[in-house]
Amino acid sequence: MTFGGLVARTILSKKARSAGLVAAVAIAVLTVVTLAVTSSGLESSAAQIISVGKADFTVVQKGVSDTLSSTIDEQEVARIEATPGVASTVGVLVATERINADNPVFIEIGIPPSKLAAFGVTILRGTAFAPDATNQVMLGWRAAANLNLKVGDKFKANGAVNTVTGIYSTGNAFGDAAAMFPLPAVQGYNRVPGIVTLVFVKVAPGASSATVAARVDHDMPELTTIRTASQFGRADRNLIYLKAAVNGSTVLAVLIGAVIVGNTMLLSLFERTREFGLLRAVGWTRRRTVGMLVGESLILGFVGAVVGVGLSFLVTAVIERLPALRGILHAQYSASAFWRALLTALAMILIGSAYPVARAALLSPLEALSHE
Amino acid sequence: MSDTARTSTSDPAGVPALDPTSGAPSVVLEEVTRVYPGKVVALAGVTLTIEPGTFVAVTGPSGCGKTTLLHLVAGIDTPTTGRVLVGGTDLATLHDPSRYRRDQVGLVFQLHQLLPRLSARANVELPMFGTGRSSGERRHRADELLALVDLAGREDRLPVQLSGGERQRVAIARALANSPHLLLADEPTGSLDSVATNRVLDMFREVQQHGATVIMVTHEHDVAARSDRVVEMCDGRVVGETAV
Repeated sequence: MTFGGLVARTILSKKARSAGLVAAVAIAVLTVVTLAVTSSGLESSAAQIISVGKADFTVVQKGVSDTLSSTIDEQEVARIEATPGVASTVGVLVATERINADNPVFIEIGIPPSKLAAFGVTILRGTAFAPDATNQVMLGWRAAANLNLKVGDKFKANGAVNTVTGIYSTGNAFGDAAAMFPLPAVQGYNRVPGIVTLVFVKVAPGASSATVAARVDHDMPELTTIRTASQFGRADRNLIYLKAAVNGSTVLAVLIGAVIVGNTMLLSLFERTREFGLLRAVGWTRRRTVGMLVGESLILGFVGAVVGVGLSFLVTAVIERLPALRGILHAQYSASAFWRALLTALAMILIGSAYPVARAALLSPLEALSHE
Repeated sequence: MSDTARTSTSDPAGVPALDPTSGAPSVVLEEVTRVYPGKVVALAGVTLTIEPGTFVAVTGPSGCGKTTLLHLVAGIDTPTTGRVLVGGTDLATLHDPSRYRRDQVGLVFQLHQLLPRLSARANVELPMFGTGRSSGERRHRADELLALVDLAGREDRLPVQLSGGERQRVAIARALANSPHLLLADEPTGSLDSVATNRVLDMFREVQQHGATVIMVTHEHDVAARSDRVVEMCDGRVVGETAV
């Protein structure tokens, strides 16, 4: 029999204990991975908004809890446009509205029709809305498909029954699942005249977007520029809080799991004290005896990690279908989520097994053999 | 018992078997005391010399210190005062007592102490971990030893599927796994009937005849009478010795 075979046989012979340890690790891994995957998905969904406009960078109000809460005065938009190196800007107001149970957080974008091309909008069918219209809308092709609407149909949103004048594409899933209205109409319905949420900036040919963005950051300290999705995560305080909560929950899950692992291993140690004494008596070194205990835990931890990841797929699928998150959360299983699962399991095992392993190492063969 | 594995100096896997010429160790106890917590005196100044290659029985009433003496020689306990020398080496100076137990000592416990979840073969293999033998060599050696104790065909049985005598024979096979020069047995026949007892004692004699020093603790005088020399203990002291 190999040493691995001996370890495996022990695991299989102590089914209840093994199952308990696997369950503890699996639940912790499930928690950690699900939180990581969903928060990453939410961040990714939220960050998609900055890539709708095909801009070199996006400007938002600094320090907002939620990017959609950003308020930028149209005069500031003009100042941004006047910044050296800026070729053009598009200021848009982004709002959300509940359309129906299937679309609880529908995105509405207010934009001047003259800026549609600059914003990267291609009209697939119909025409653009009039600049000052109060009851006209263009639907992204995904939204039109989801809502089963076509050009000429009526669409109740933004406080009016709107006529669908056109179907557009932006090449961006987030933008294509939204609706676009004349900017004044969205400003009026949301009672924020002269305000936009985001400003999409294109730099002049030959200019460095990083340099121009830095200039905007410097000249308008109340605003902040975003050039990448990761920068978006740093600018949105809700996402910062979400990440902090995920990290905190991870630590908590690891600690709780480690306590359960430690408790299970300690029980196992008490139960098998005579066995350890016997092994020491027949010549096993402390290292080998402890190695068997740690080996068992590592195998069970790995199995727990695999089970936990599997369960996280199921739980995340359920969360994605929750009415409040439908269409918003698209879970993203990155390699880092799996590494996080393995590290979680490893941390739980190492922390949880530290004390039982130390006890096992310090057992004298004679005391262990005398254990009742 | 078949002698096939014992009369050769190495088995087919290259593992040395007991070799009558390799020199069994002497065992010397010099003024050994062992006092347990609570001032329980288990040994009170034992001086004893056991010649190499002899079969010695240590006998006496319960609590007289027989088992403590055996544990000290096995290196799983240490004296409070005095010295235990095996083959001239003071066990207290051993850097790695587990290696001494593995390579030099075979231990047979009163209640066999087999791991219940492991087969007879796997139990016999346990002392061979860390000896450099491959798993195939360990398996071969275990099967050979189980055949030696007449348990061929029962290698895959769990302890619960074996009789008391068979379990004790598995324990003996385990004790012989690394061809020890010192076989220590603690009440090895305590739970056996007369037939099984005779079988076990025959095995010990064969082990001794093949060059090992055998020390057996027993409280049964007729069992002790099967050895070369009986050391009688009482209240932690040696109170008499008889050559059989």
